[in-house]
Amino acid sequence: MLKHLRLIFAVYLVAALSACKPDNRQIPVIDFFKTPEKVAYRLSPDGKYISYLKPYKDKQNLFIQSLDGGKEQMATSFSDYSVRGDYNWTYNNDIVFFQDDIAQDEIKMFTLDIATLKVTPVLSQKKVRISILGRDKNTPDVITIRMNKRDPANFDIYRLNIKTGALTPYLVNPGNITQWFPDADGKIRLVKASDGVDETILYRPNDNTPFKGIIANNFKTSVKPIAFTGQKNYFYALSNVNRDKSALVEINAEDGKEHRVIFASDSADILDYSYSKNTHKVEMVSWDAGKPQKHYFDPVMKNIYDKLSGELKDNQIAITDRDSAENKFIVFTYTDRCPGTYYLFERSAGKLTKLSDINPDLKHEELCPMRPISFKASDGLKITGYLTLPNGLKTTNLPTVVIPHDGPFSRTGWGFNPEVQFLANRGYAVFQVNYRGSTGFGKAFHSAGFKQMGGKIQQDITDGVKWLIANKTANPKKIAIFGGGFGGFSALYGVSFHPELYNCAIVQHGLINFFTYIKDAPPFLKPMVQMTYERVGNPATDAGQFRAISPVFNTDKIHAPVLIFQGARDDRANIPELNQFVRELQKQNGSDKVKYFLKPMERTSFRSQANRMEMYAEIEKFLDENMRKKN
Amino acid sequence: MKKQDNSYRKNFSLAIIFLVLTSVMFIIALFVSYNLNAKYVENEFDSKKIYVQEQTTRPYNNLFQNKITEITSYQGFLDSASAARYADSVFQSYHFVRQMVFYDVQIGNQNQGIIIKNHLGISIKSMYLFRPKNNKVEGIRIWNTKNEIDFEQMATKLARFIALSDTTRGSTQDEIYKTFYDVKPGKISYSNILRREDVKILRELQMHPNSPYYSKQTMMTFFLDPYRLKIKNPYKQLYQKVTIQPVVFDPPDNPIGTLVTEAPLPGAFSDYKLYFLSPPGYLNAEINRRFMPVAGLVLLIYCVLVLIGWLIYRNLGINIKLFKLQYDFINNFTHEFKTPVSVIKIAGSNLSGDSELSERQRKQYGRILNEEADKLNELMSKLLSFTQLENKSIELKREPVDVQQFVNSYIETFRLKHPDFKITSHFDGTPTLLTDPVMLGSVLQNLMENAYKYSHPEKRELHINVSGFKRNIVFSFKDKGIGIQKSELGNVFKKFYRIENQYNQNGSVGLGLAFCKELVNFMDGEITVNSKVNEGSEFIVTLPYEN
Repeated sequence: MLKHLRLIFAVYLVAALSACKPDNRQIPVIDFFKTPEKVAYRLSPDGKYISYLKPYKDKQNLFIQSLDGGKEQMATSFSDYSVRGDYNWTYNNDIVFFQDDIAQDEIKMFTLDIATLKVTPVLSQKKVRISILGRDKNTPDVITIRMNKRDPANFDIYRLNIKTGALTPYLVNPGNITQWFPDADGKIRLVKASDGVDETILYRPNDNTPFKGIIANNFKTSVKPIAFTGQKNYFYALSNVNRDKSALVEINAEDGKEHRVIFASDSADILDYSYSKNTHKVEMVSWDAGKPQKHYFDPVMKNIYDKLSGELKDNQIAITDRDSAENKFIVFTYTDRCPGTYYLFERSAGKLTKLSDINPDLKHEELCPMRPISFKASDGLKITGYLTLPNGLKTTNLPTVVIPHDGPFSRTGWGFNPEVQFLANRGYAVFQVNYRGSTGFGKAFHSAGFKQMGGKIQQDITDGVKWLIANKTANPKKIAIFGGGFGGFSALYGVSFHPELYNCAIVQHGLINFFTYIKDAPPFLKPMVQMTYERVGNPATDAGQFRAISPVFNTDKIHAPVLIFQGARDDRANIPELNQFVRELQKQNGSDKVKYFLKPMERTSFRSQANRMEMYAEIEKFLDENMRKKN
Repeated sequence: MKKQDNSYRKNFSLAIIFLVLTSVMFIIALFVSYNLNAKYVENEFDSKKIYVQEQTTRPYNNLFQNKITEITSYQGFLDSASAARYADSVFQSYHFVRQMVFYDVQIGNQNQGIIIKNHLGISIKSMYLFRPKNNKVEGIRIWNTKNEIDFEQMATKLARFIALSDTTRGSTQDEIYKTFYDVKPGKISYSNILRREDVKILRELQMHPNSPYYSKQTMMTFFLDPYRLKIKNPYKQLYQKVTIQPVVFDPPDNPIGTLVTEAPLPGAFSDYKLYFLSPPGYLNAEINRRFMPVAGLVLLIYCVLVLIGWLIYRNLGINIKLFKLQYDFINNFTHEFKTPVSVIKIAGSNLSGDSELSERQRKQYGRILNEEADKLNELMSKLLSFTQLENKSIELKREPVDVQQFVNSYIETFRLKHPDFKITSHFDGTPTLLTDPVMLGSVLQNLMENAYKYSHPEKRELHINVSGFKRNIVFSFKDKGIGIQKSELGNVFKKFYRIENQYNQNGSVGLGLAFCKELVNFMDGEITVNSKVNEGSEFIVTLPYEN
């Protein structure tokens, strides 16, 4: 009896102790960066099956589950190469999928018969890329694919009968078409031509007339067609022509003129939409100014979303697939503290069923909320960003890691970020800045970052850190800066030119030389070169500036401890140059202050689980040494 | 006495032999170490040249490994102005660079230069010659770019690389060296290293034959002058002259004994070598310098050995003296025993020889026998108790002793024994003492006996002064005897030591004072002596009240 009591007491003690500090458990590194178990959920058009990819012998294989309470069935059993994520159901309720044989450089296309679970090869092409563009309700066995069989540099459009394997060319690419926008009936009347920078939208009224250009854009403006509205020759598009922020508009395909603005947000570009092939309508648009926001046009869909929002409070909700009757939906939800969950929603029954979690090892309550923030840059421009504070009572004077995003012409969005959560779990406040030049905030904000590398972009990051120090969030003596690519440049720039702000820097595939960055624009693509010159700088006239800001020419300014990761197979990295850079730093600062990990089999970002784990373990150790031990 | 002389003499000869041997060894050690040193320095002459070579070629290696590779960082975007700035920084730090040729190279669709494939070619867009002039860079544009052998060689390698390199993996160090470097005697050519992405873009350029655009590439040829390499010779003591000479240089007219060695120069200087020369005898100073500490050490060891030898020799002498003392003691003791024994013997034979003894005779013999037996007994008990004392095998008894009464009883005894002995005494605050009366008695008796013995017969006087202090009681025995020489004062308390004089011819074994000292020490006291020759001695015994 006494023994039992003692045991009960011990259990109680443990429970009491863990109840005191539920947030501060150190989650193992591997839990943050796990590859998800089940992904790519799809619904069959008849709404009877769901399908998904799940690893079998370390390769992704196709699994089927009947929705009438059926069990999971393994449909394929490949152990050589994974099934590609872009598989599709046909309107005949078969599955079309691809397997990429990397060694042979061969793409194999198969069909899967649901009734018999029989896998039939349809197409197999060496040194050719294939993907599915569209399917047609009227001719369910014929799908539209794009393939670069004729010319490796250009994709053509074909019709493929998956039962017979008959391949018919539909559209031959004159050489510059990069995007096709098929109608609901599979016909293509709208295409986009691009030379990498300048884009032209072309239109034809029917299959027998040639395409003609209707809208021309350079890299400063963009028009993204969605689909025809069904009324006249109007089509939906996201456009920022003649306005600062992209809006959902209707464009007349006859002359390319904007017919009307359907929806615009004054805080951010409209980034995403959902379109129903049944109703030919855009149901919803979303934008992201701080947190993702949505607007619904379709009252039925709004109802569904409202119902889902009621059940899944505070979650971001996206419908990823639906059956033809629009009764069953695959719903994907995520938050800043949840990498994502798949649900099945049945509208008629109003029933929501959980399918699986992306990463069930991460507990919502153990992770840290990501809070949108904004501050004024020193020239008065409003800059937004995100601040993730570690769980616990302390909210001031925290050791802080600043993560400027790569790009620089991209952005940090709200949502689950394993890197951020990992650092916050280790007790660091994480600060992310959408400095000027970041996308999604309108044309003016974007172009404000042109030629500002090492200039106002860096000033925005510095202002952000100073703002954090001023409002007492960050401990001014314990700030690290961490980034990949341009973020890596920002980190090195920070410790070079603001050594008083940062303790140390962590660099992944860092940009250390702007001459190299410039060279990535192929010389035969004049618009690309011009865009680069306009956005980054001209090596002939701005060489002095490049030399002044490129870390490779400024090793003498770096004295803080630096941790550098690089994959040796990164196409854009100049490994001898980076080695030289590291050697010089080591000679100058001592090899214990410059840690360098060059992984021979990796490209830009590390793919191997072992290398990723090692990287994050090293980051943890490095931050520990430089942010905890001193003072 | 003869035997002892022999032993002295033997030790002495041993010492001489020891000294001679160590000296011989000392000389041999010096000789051998000098020769080894000389060999070592000569070896160093051959081996240290590597360091001279390393120090001298360090700037070259720096240029090759760090400065030249900086060109790659410009990714081909160097123009005449920035190239001139670069050239200036080279000339500032590397004086052995005589001049540099800068090729601004363009790769694109063209029909000139080195053709990679189809119409893709590598050609010179412009070419400049840079050379230092008055601490500045002088740049000369060269318009005739035909027949540029350096360019053609580099461009051929580059073309091969662009056409054939495997872009699915990174280039190896070897591939990079063989493609982007060209090291020839007197010059280094370098072209900025291409990334895989660059190669991909160039290959794609080939697929756009109508594109009028060019990719820029920088090539530079550095012309080097080996004679401007600064020779750094940190081993001036080894090498008198270090010069840079052509590889074939080998003068036959060096005087005999000249030391000569050479070291090759790397890379672009490989036609030349470092030539090291030292004239005959040049190394002697260095050999001597290094020999000095070794010689000092050997000398030190030699001195230590001699010192140890001397110490052993001295200890031997002391042992011999001790041995002599013991020998003397046995002599004396035997003699001491002999006298009473022979007296007893004579008395005995007289007793047995005389037929009738008168009353007087019988009494006389009886007294004689009695006295001599007493003497023997006293001698023996003295010896015995001394041995016991030395071995600490007796126990100290503690009885209260009235000091005044105790001393007076001894004075009375001595007055009876020696009527000619004048003894005076004085007591000053002397209470009862807790001590062993037998031991204290022995001390008193010995000291009084000595005072009597070592005084002229007409001046046998002794003054005993006893005074008590806080913790100690002090007995002073002051006589007017012969006194002790200053040099002997330290010895009087030693065992078996007797000062040779007329007063101790018989009946003394040199044990009395040593015995006193042992006794006093045993009682935790002290005994000291003050003395002047022919004036008298004073023995002072200090005893604690509590012991």
